Amino acid sequence: MSASEFEVSRSWQTNRSSAARWILSHVGRHGLFVAGMLVGAAGNAALAAAMQLLIGRAVNAVTSTPANLRGLATAAGLVAGSQLVRGLILQLMRNWSSEMLGQRIERDIRDELYASLIGKSMSFHDSQPTGDLMARATNDVRQVNLMFNPGVNLVVGSANFLLMPLIVAPTIHPQLVITPTIYLLAYAFAVRNYLRQLRPATERVREEFSEMNTTLAEAIDGIETVKGAAQETFESKRFTSDVTEWRNAYVDQGDIEARFIPLLLLGLVQGIGFFHSLLLFRAGAIGLDSVVSFNGLLLLFGFPTFAAQFAYSRVSSGLASARRILELITFQTELDQNVEGCEKAMEGSVRFEDVTFCYSPSDEACSPEDHNTALEDVTFHVEPGQTVAVVGQTGSGKSTVAKLISRIYDVDGGRVLIDGIDVREWNLEALRRQISTIEQDIFLFSRSIAENIAFGSPDADQEDIEEAARAAQAHAFITSLEDGYETVIGERGATLSGGQRQRLAIARAFLTEPAILILDDATSAIDSETEDRIQRAIERAAEGRTTFLITHRLSQIRWADLIIVMRKGTVAAVGTHQQLMEESPAYRTIFARYEK
Amino acid sequence: MSLFHGLDREAYDREYSDRELLRRIAGYFKPHTKRVAIVAVVIAAIAFVGAEQLFIISRGLDALLQDTESIPLGPVVALGAAVLVTGVLNWAGNWVRRRITVRIIGDVVRALRRDAFGAVVQHDMSFFDEFRSGRIISRITSDTEEFANVVQLVTDLLSQLTLVAILLVRLFQISWRLTLLVLGMSPIVLLLAMGFRRVARRVTREGFQVLAEVNAAIREAVTGIGVAKIFRQEDAIYREFSEVNERSYHVNLRRGFTLSMVFPVLNALAGVGTAILVYWGGLAAVNQEVSIGNWYLFLRSVDRFWFPLINVAAFWSQFQGGLSASERIFALIDAEPSVQQRKPRSPDQLQGEILFDSVDFHYKEEEQVLRDFNLHIAPGESLALVGHTGAGKSSIVKLIARFYEFQDGRIEIDGQAIRTFDLHDYRKQLGIVSQSPFLFSGTVAENIRYAAPGLPDEEIEDLARRIGGGDWVDTLPNGLQTDVGERGGRLSMGQRQLVALMRVLAQSPAIFILDEATASVDPFTETQIQETIEMILQRSTSILIAHRLSTVRAVDRIIVLREGRIIEEGNHEELMERGGHYAELYDTYFRHQSLAYVEEVGERRQ
Repeated sequence: MSASEFEVSRSWQTNRSSAARWILSHVGRHGLFVAGMLVGAAGNAALAAAMQLLIGRAVNAVTSTPANLRGLATAAGLVAGSQLVRGLILQLMRNWSSEMLGQRIERDIRDELYASLIGKSMSFHDSQPTGDLMARATNDVRQVNLMFNPGVNLVVGSANFLLMPLIVAPTIHPQLVITPTIYLLAYAFAVRNYLRQLRPATERVREEFSEMNTTLAEAIDGIETVKGAAQETFESKRFTSDVTEWRNAYVDQGDIEARFIPLLLLGLVQGIGFFHSLLLFRAGAIGLDSVVSFNGLLLLFGFPTFAAQFAYSRVSSGLASARRILELITFQTELDQNVEGCEKAMEGSVRFEDVTFCYSPSDEACSPEDHNTALEDVTFHVEPGQTVAVVGQTGSGKSTVAKLISRIYDVDGGRVLIDGIDVREWNLEALRRQISTIEQDIFLFSRSIAENIAFGSPDADQEDIEEAARAAQAHAFITSLEDGYETVIGERGATLSGGQRQRLAIARAFLTEPAILILDDATSAIDSETEDRIQRAIERAAEGRTTFLITHRLSQIRWADLIIVMRKGTVAAVGTHQQLMEESPAYRTIFARYEK
Repeated sequence: MSLFHGLDREAYDREYSDRELLRRIAGYFKPHTKRVAIVAVVIAAIAFVGAEQLFIISRGLDALLQDTESIPLGPVVALGAAVLVTGVLNWAGNWVRRRITVRIIGDVVRALRRDAFGAVVQHDMSFFDEFRSGRIISRITSDTEEFANVVQLVTDLLSQLTLVAILLVRLFQISWRLTLLVLGMSPIVLLLAMGFRRVARRVTREGFQVLAEVNAAIREAVTGIGVAKIFRQEDAIYREFSEVNERSYHVNLRRGFTLSMVFPVLNALAGVGTAILVYWGGLAAVNQEVSIGNWYLFLRSVDRFWFPLINVAAFWSQFQGGLSASERIFALIDAEPSVQQRKPRSPDQLQGEILFDSVDFHYKEEEQVLRDFNLHIAPGESLALVGHTGAGKSSIVKLIARFYEFQDGRIEIDGQAIRTFDLHDYRKQLGIVSQSPFLFSGTVAENIRYAAPGLPDEEIEDLARRIGGGDWVDTLPNGLQTDVGERGGRLSMGQRQLVALMRVLAQSPAIFILDEATASVDPFTETQIQETIEMILQRSTSILIAHRLSTVRAVDRIIVLREGRIIEEGNHEELMERGGHYAELYDTYFRHQSLAYVEEVGERRQ
């Protein structure tokens, strides 16, 4: 895994060639617990069978003439002893072992997943929705845990209960192997069928439920619109029809569950087994005690019959989750680190030459009709130290321009040059270190404000931090907080407004001193004073470095050294304010409106 | 779920007496009386068959012991066939029972959800302001589901208990001593099961708390990866994550260990119980007090007693949970609207004249919002409301939309009291756009048509083209047929506002109400939004809560509010000249939107 940007040294390695192998290689590291589970399950089933034999012995003791009271007492004593051992030692061992297995594997695969996520490139994190990552790191990982307990635990446990009558019955009489064998075969077939039918039905119920939920949530969240447009009846009808869909799916699933054939088989097998043992008894081949024991053994099938209703689906959904997690872990990130690349100090000139880029997952070439084409033939040049305003509608390609500069993605055509060198020729780490991007929604860690500002420059002392905060116009509001710079973000309602978060991020940039600063400045100020503060902070930050402002603010656009107007992935106009006022009608209208 | 009851109480919740509650619940089952009766019969039949199977086996054993010499084949076949048939009947009975139950439950839950939803959309806006939508939603989905689960539970438990009852009667007839022995052990099992429940509850609650923490930490760790990478802090966040992960492991392990102890312990106990019956029952058989067959019957009955007992231990609290779930649903359905219409009638085509005459209004009694408020708006006039937060801007707008009830005075539309309108028909003549306009999943065209159903595509196209030459339509990937995504998520904020305004344009209402968004929008879309607003202002009486400088400049009259009173009115120039409260507000909220400010920034930079 040379492409990874982060490695953890560990004593263990996993096989990632398939989900099943991957899980097995995790399981392999906990041999003791696997053994505990297997031995516990086998012993549990054996002693459950032993109880039936002992009851047979008790019957024998009572029916023999004269009655063997000692034998009865011994049998009863052995029943008590064996069941205590079975429950308190073997079953507990099985449960706890599988619990250990499940919990440890949950911990380990979460760790493996997380370490691999840290190792992924920025472009990966940029393109991956956080919600999806979260779902895999929590739900899917938990599903894998549940796959072991109760899933595998019950499968292994009930498998032993299936096999035990098959092993023990012939010791009573060879012919008695027939009924358990029939059951085993019929069971395998019926359960397979059942699960096959159930899976799509359950899936449909889930889908219908979530559809109903979406309709409901939309109607409630948009209630003002619903009421304003007097559409209550329409929404009620829509919801009712969704509920009916759900109801039908729910009933269908219920019908499949009601038909549960293994239960019918259980009834049949108990009848057939009883009949068979009576025939043998009549022929004098076995005694009454054996009849009792054998029919007791058939009762063991009850456990696998009921466990089949959910144990196997647990395992299969656990495997599906494992597949999803593994997919994420083994996802190769396409950008190479280019360790030998250029590492010199950046001056900050940026040039786009006929840049074309599309967000297509494969290597296919961009076609103009393709909806994924984000940029087409974009060309511009920025001198070191210039402030550039990038303007345009959402989706016009503003942020894509920014992402290509810091090489979050590679271009599909043309070139992006920094200081005259293609970004692909730069050492990736040197490139990113010298470019700072301040996103629209700023992520802050739940740590102190000081730590958040110094994040990325661990050597900064309190003085440096405060100076940076002052330059970013953040010092005043920080000191107005009860704990000042030591305020932990997110604690006791210490939530910050968008403008405040933005200024903390700018303060961060003052400490890291990038050559190129990219600021996605779409936050809105409610009042003129805050607006003023943010403007001043950005002005300070832009001094002495190339700055790209993705902005809606007229005052920033008006005074930028260069304005790039984007429209549908192309550069609609580029130049200074004066030039654009003369050349671009669209640009003129936005200022014209204010002249009124 | 039931662990957290009490945390989600709402002001509209009420206590129903158990009788009232059961009566309401019974009402939902009434249409299914026949099905319920069949289920009851089937449950009894299953129990009877289940018990009968045991008796047949025990009788059979006794019969076989009678004549040891030569057993005729007939009885043997009959016995085997009897067990087989009872097994099949048991399955068939369960099949019928579950098929019918699932239909009853499906239908009852559907009716509950339909009623709850129907009631909720009829509530007035104050209800939605007061109560979080997430909770309302969970009442309609989760609480009804919990109720369904309890119904399922009740039928399952009933069928098990019926079997126990039938068995008990027969066992008593055979040997009351052995029966007492079986019954005597029950309290121990019951106590143990209840004790376990308590412990399990505690560790589960602890588990949930830690799980919430852990999930929050994982969320931060996952979302923070990007930032950590920019600043090369991978080691630090990995260490932090490992700590959390380890903590989660320990808590979950403890929880898992506790919970997975239940069945082993109960099984061990059941084994001891069986051993006791083996011995005492065996002795009784030797003393000829019971037959061998009956002794065997007792041995087989132990399991059938204990399983329902474990369920009973869990039942009561689950049952209570189901009842309170139904209580929450009924409370939601019964919540009383505060807006009451007197003699509602459908208004004619309105002109849009609005009159507030000495209106008093408050949300809560302690905070009077409007006192003796007077305002007259002429038909077709456009009006901007400005003022600090809490000045009463949105209250005025909400009263016009009749989302809230006012306490004193009169509000008249076209000279008719607002209380006499049929709300549904009245609101059809209003066009309302809120701060964060809401779009429904579907296409842009469908959203524009929402308040004017039946408007043909060509007319929508035509309207859309009138704004900025239709440029905004061209920038959408599929034009007017673009799917807006859930809640309009695939459109930008600016585009959403534009679509919501187009919706009003298509509707052409008598009265237009706009709570202007504060979020910033790119200057190109902004221009088009402004154009659309100005177009609506030409057609309807308009009341705007203004946040944009261009809006206050576009209206006929600005109303300046402070603490629920009008302190100034006039157009922008007049009010600026006066230098009063409006000039102050301008300096606070609008100055940075002006061209003068842009120039000021330029001067500062020199």
